[in-house]
Amino acid sequence: MRQTWVLGQRALREAARTPEALLPTLFIPLFFLVVNVGQAGKIFPAAHTSFLHGQGYGAFQLPSSLLLAGSFGTAALFLVEDIEGGYFDKLRASPVPRTAIVLGRLIAESVKGLVIATGLVVLALVFGISIASGPAGFVILIALTALWSVVFVGFMQLIALKTRSAAATQSAGLVFFPLLFLTPNFVPRHMLTRPMEIAATLNPVTYVMEAVRSLILQDFVWTSILRGFGVVAVLGAVMIALNVRLIQRYD
Amino acid sequence: MDDLGSVVARRPPGYEPAGTSAAVQAEALVKHYGGRTSVIEAVRGVDLTVEAGEVFGFLGPNGAGKSTTMRMLTTLLSITSGTARVAGVDVAGDPDAVRRRIGVALQEAGLDPRQTGRELLVLQGRLFDLSAAEAAARAEELLALVELEEAADRCIKGYSGGMKRRLDLASALVHRPEVLFLDEPTTGLDPASRLTIWDEVRRINKRGTTVFLTTQYLEEADQLCDRLAIIDGGLIVREGTPAGLKSELRERRGLASDPTLDDVFLDATGRTRDRAAGDVQEVAP
Repeated sequence: MRQTWVLGQRALREAARTPEALLPTLFIPLFFLVVNVGQAGKIFPAAHTSFLHGQGYGAFQLPSSLLLAGSFGTAALFLVEDIEGGYFDKLRASPVPRTAIVLGRLIAESVKGLVIATGLVVLALVFGISIASGPAGFVILIALTALWSVVFVGFMQLIALKTRSAAATQSAGLVFFPLLFLTPNFVPRHMLTRPMEIAATLNPVTYVMEAVRSLILQDFVWTSILRGFGVVAVLGAVMIALNVRLIQRYD
Repeated sequence: MDDLGSVVARRPPGYEPAGTSAAVQAEALVKHYGGRTSVIEAVRGVDLTVEAGEVFGFLGPNGAGKSTTMRMLTTLLSITSGTARVAGVDVAGDPDAVRRRIGVALQEAGLDPRQTGRELLVLQGRLFDLSAAEAAARAEELLALVELEEAADRCIKGYSGGMKRRLDLASALVHRPEVLFLDEPTTGLDPASRLTIWDEVRRINKRGTTVFLTTQYLEEADQLCDRLAIIDGGLIVREGTPAGLKSELRERRGLASDPTLDDVFLDATGRTRDRAAGDVQEVAP
């Protein structure tokens, strides 16, 4: 564990010393939040839209922005830099458990995810969005967002380890956009057309989004929350296992 | 200056002596890379023995199999067939035990440009199970050894090529390895930085560390190495002391004076001076 934490600290220093890589993860999700609310806010007035539970449309859109913020995966691009620069081989030539090399970066990503999600939610609070589930719900939704960012960067690290290419890794990150739009992004799942509803039901991102949304709009809807955490737990375990397998077979 | 000669009792936690044997021993070492349509035979059966305390040079033209062999010996590449033991430990059987006994400085100085020199060395120490205080003290010793104290708290991205190489060398020494692997340690350095690295290598070796280095610079091999091997096409084509190899060529060719190591290299690899241009370079010390 100590080696994992030492490598995690190193990844955090790396992130702190590259603010230019962190700023877009805050700015772009905010941009999407403003644009989406600007485009559809009038269609769904708070007073006459039951699925908003009395809040504005921004509260409904906030989960999309949080998940987008957790899906930049800059840690995977830093990993490609390590591979290209030879530092990754330096680590591999050390008696460090391969799991520590993977988990160090993922732990750092979860810390970054916590900070970014907290920043976004605090900004949302300033603009009148409230968290219906209260402070405990706030903590849970931040934690869920951070865990999602770990899952997604785990996926991007797989691409990084497999391709060893920054371009391929960056392109793989774009896979989040179809996943984001095949969710109940603009309206609840039951209001989607049948094909979109089926696609959203099959898409794991839907359950994370619905869990986060329930915490913002409603009180604790445990079925939703547990489903969201279940998805990140399963996907997280799969990503870690695949990362470790790839790094052990890395030649 | 670092007292490398008295470090055996201060090796990091988890270190267990492997007993007395050759520092590096490879038998019929083979590496194949599988392509979609063909198999590339990068190393085709290398036999090597490097005795403890030697500086051993591994020479060869580009693509001859030098780096591939070194990467197999340092656990970075899987071995297709054959066996290798480093510091008495089977490389394929117990790679972690090998990693505890070796230091590695690869062709591209494997450094993290966003850390300071001190942070990098402390991190490396922590990865080898040193406590925070031990790692900090060891970093201080090594920064003095490679004369980087003044730049210790600057980000590595601002270091010159020579400084990066020296720091890389220091990071390979953090855990006081028995065998130090250096892959083309002076490639791309100016003559002054090259001489500094040579001095460091001599000093490290004098304190008991076996050094296995690949180089394309024949002058470097001549200056530094007790023995050397020349690899070409994935096979060892010559092995011996620099003086012995030159003398063998002189006798075989009936030359009036001793040939240079360049002549030995060209003879071993079947290259002419024209064909070798770009494959191998000479440098003045």
